[in-house]
Amino acid sequence: MSIRATLLGAHAGLVEPLVVDPEGLPGGDDRAGQERHQVLILELARAHSAAARRLEVVVDGWRFELEVEPEARAALRDKARRDRGAAGHSGPAEVRAIIPGVIVSVAVTPGETVGAGQQLLVVEAMKMQNELRAPRAGTIGRVAVGTGSTIEVGDLLVVVE
Amino acid sequence: MATSRSEASAVKPSLRKDSPGPPFGRLLIANRGEIAVRIIRACRELGVETVAIYSDADARAAHVRLADSAIRVGPAAPADSYLRIDTIVDAAVRAGAEAIHPGYGFLAERAAFAAAVEAAGIAFVGPSAAVIDALGDKLHARRTARAVGVDAVPGTLDPAPIDRPDQVAGIVAEAERIGFPLLVKAAAGGGGRGMRRVATAAELPAALAAGSHEAASAFGDGAVYLEREIAPARHVEVQLLGDSTGRVVAIGERDCSLQRRHQKLVEEAPAPGLTRTERAELHDLAVRVAAAAGLQNAATAEFLRAPDGRFYFLEVNTRLQVEHGVTELVSGIDIVREQLFLAAGQPLSEAVLDAAARAAEPASHSIEVRISAEDPGRDFAPTPGEVRRWSMPSGPGVRVDTALEAGERVPPEYDNLIAKVMVHARDRDAAIDRLRRALDETEIAGIQTTLPFHRFVARAASFRAGDLSTGWVGEHWDGAAEVARAARTAQRTAGLAVLAAGRGAGPDGGMLAGPVADAPAGRPAGVPASGPGGRQRGDGAARDGAWRQAGLADAVDRWPR
Repeated sequence: MSIRATLLGAHAGLVEPLVVDPEGLPGGDDRAGQERHQVLILELARAHSAAARRLEVVVDGWRFELEVEPEARAALRDKARRDRGAAGHSGPAEVRAIIPGVIVSVAVTPGETVGAGQQLLVVEAMKMQNELRAPRAGTIGRVAVGTGSTIEVGDLLVVVE
Repeated sequence: MATSRSEASAVKPSLRKDSPGPPFGRLLIANRGEIAVRIIRACRELGVETVAIYSDADARAAHVRLADSAIRVGPAAPADSYLRIDTIVDAAVRAGAEAIHPGYGFLAERAAFAAAVEAAGIAFVGPSAAVIDALGDKLHARRTARAVGVDAVPGTLDPAPIDRPDQVAGIVAEAERIGFPLLVKAAAGGGGRGMRRVATAAELPAALAAGSHEAASAFGDGAVYLEREIAPARHVEVQLLGDSTGRVVAIGERDCSLQRRHQKLVEEAPAPGLTRTERAELHDLAVRVAAAAGLQNAATAEFLRAPDGRFYFLEVNTRLQVEHGVTELVSGIDIVREQLFLAAGQPLSEAVLDAAARAAEPASHSIEVRISAEDPGRDFAPTPGEVRRWSMPSGPGVRVDTALEAGERVPPEYDNLIAKVMVHARDRDAAIDRLRRALDETEIAGIQTTLPFHRFVARAASFRAGDLSTGWVGEHWDGAAEVARAARTAQRTAGLAVLAAGRGAGPDGGMLAGPVADAPAGRPAGVPASGPGGRQRGDGAARDGAWRQAGLADAVDRWPR
């Protein structure tokens, strides 16, 4: 049985999901055989299905949240999702919080046209003011937060259409 | 005069015949986190009773648990708690505290706080309000340095007249004389606020206006001045102690060149590569400026070292520094302990004078790394949250100053420094080896920290070669590449752990054995049920990836430490 490991949370999409085959080492990193790493593995809350597990894996001090599940099952789910809507990449871009904090200012309003990299809002956390910018050009479809809102990682902030 | 806790009178330290006795009976610590714990430790060893203050976010924090008593000063927001001068002085009066130690950050360099403490008849553990006020103005500090023949970084000595359009030509001419690129800096500044880099004369007027505006909103003072950019430069600072007789000594210097956004990441003592003569000369420069300013208690004079080896005075920090520990390890001086005796009016101790006499010939080496709740893979963005695993290193030559434990939350309201890992060894090479070992022992889960960056530093050839500059992080650290590499290892490790668990093998058996994953504390994941067939990879790409590139580019510290 092969296992698929997929990054979640703040690192979702950083690297492609990896399928680990019990028959030998997976590919992806040629130097895998020579390196030693400090690794911690902790269980996170249960995933969306009983078959999947959510793990926190810390490698050399880097912290990741991953979902691990049987590859066969993951592939089936992907197929179903593809069949539902092959809309592609032109859909709305949801800008979500990657740090928790408080919204200090919001620079855009719904209906406004923004360019890629344009400032959307400023989040303050731990003494720092972090400017968050549009991932691509488009029209602001929705602003889900206001000045003073407290946000957690993953909260929807702005939709760019 | 010391009033130990009644229930703990048995553990009151026995004082030697020649010991001066506790400097104070009771002391309030106007801070939180690791530095509050550090100060409590010094007090405990001296038999000084401690009073902690806390906000609602810290009701169960370590500094509250360790102090003899604790007083709530307000809700979580710093402006409503740890920055409330009236509330804190009132708490000290009610608690019967004879002294207040401000730590670093928060109110440590607010002259108004020192003045309020002094006015309440309480000893302020630090320089006087007048000295804090004078040296807090960087232009005043630069003029003080010039008056005693110490070269400050070339630049102006008076505020730029930015409100006078008729004087723009004059400022530009002065900038041409200083030379480009230069920096616009805030007179009241710190931590990079109000600072602008200017490469050409044409950019100067806009930079002056923007820097002044930022300085005004950050410090309530929009005065800015010009300073030549020295690059590459090393940041070297001198630890100073002074007493009420006006005597000031240097007990060693630190190199703090590894910074990002003007915040220090790694500090070491002594500064590598200095000759005995250079070291003595640097200490002398620092003592001259501090003595001229009337410094008492503890402070640090900061310098830049240009590529030609010359030192240029930057500023004086009138407080205990975050990185004081490396100097303690090399000098053998407990700086907080000495601060308390100095605040009680004692002269510089024999131990300090002895350390000062040896300061130009340090006999060992110490390195500190700041473990912060920041993501070094995303431009050091803040990462508050709950710490699930927290195992700090120990063993020979390792000191860890922290206030955090597993299961606790790093609150988003405060500084992101959560632990200082210090190593001490006979020389710099041995200290780096020890640092690498100590960081390999460090286990943190639940939040991302700067640990991977520090592991990188401990292995970097240029760091070992002493090839340091304030541009080092930008030149050597590619956080995005490092995290991507680690992500692939994490996926592989997680998959293998699940497979190993599925066939009944633990983390030490089956596929986890061997070089792929050295997982001393790893726990095997559960056994997943098998599912139906198919094949296609997931679609989770790039949603946050765009953020990673686009966002977080302009993070600025709101109040520097």
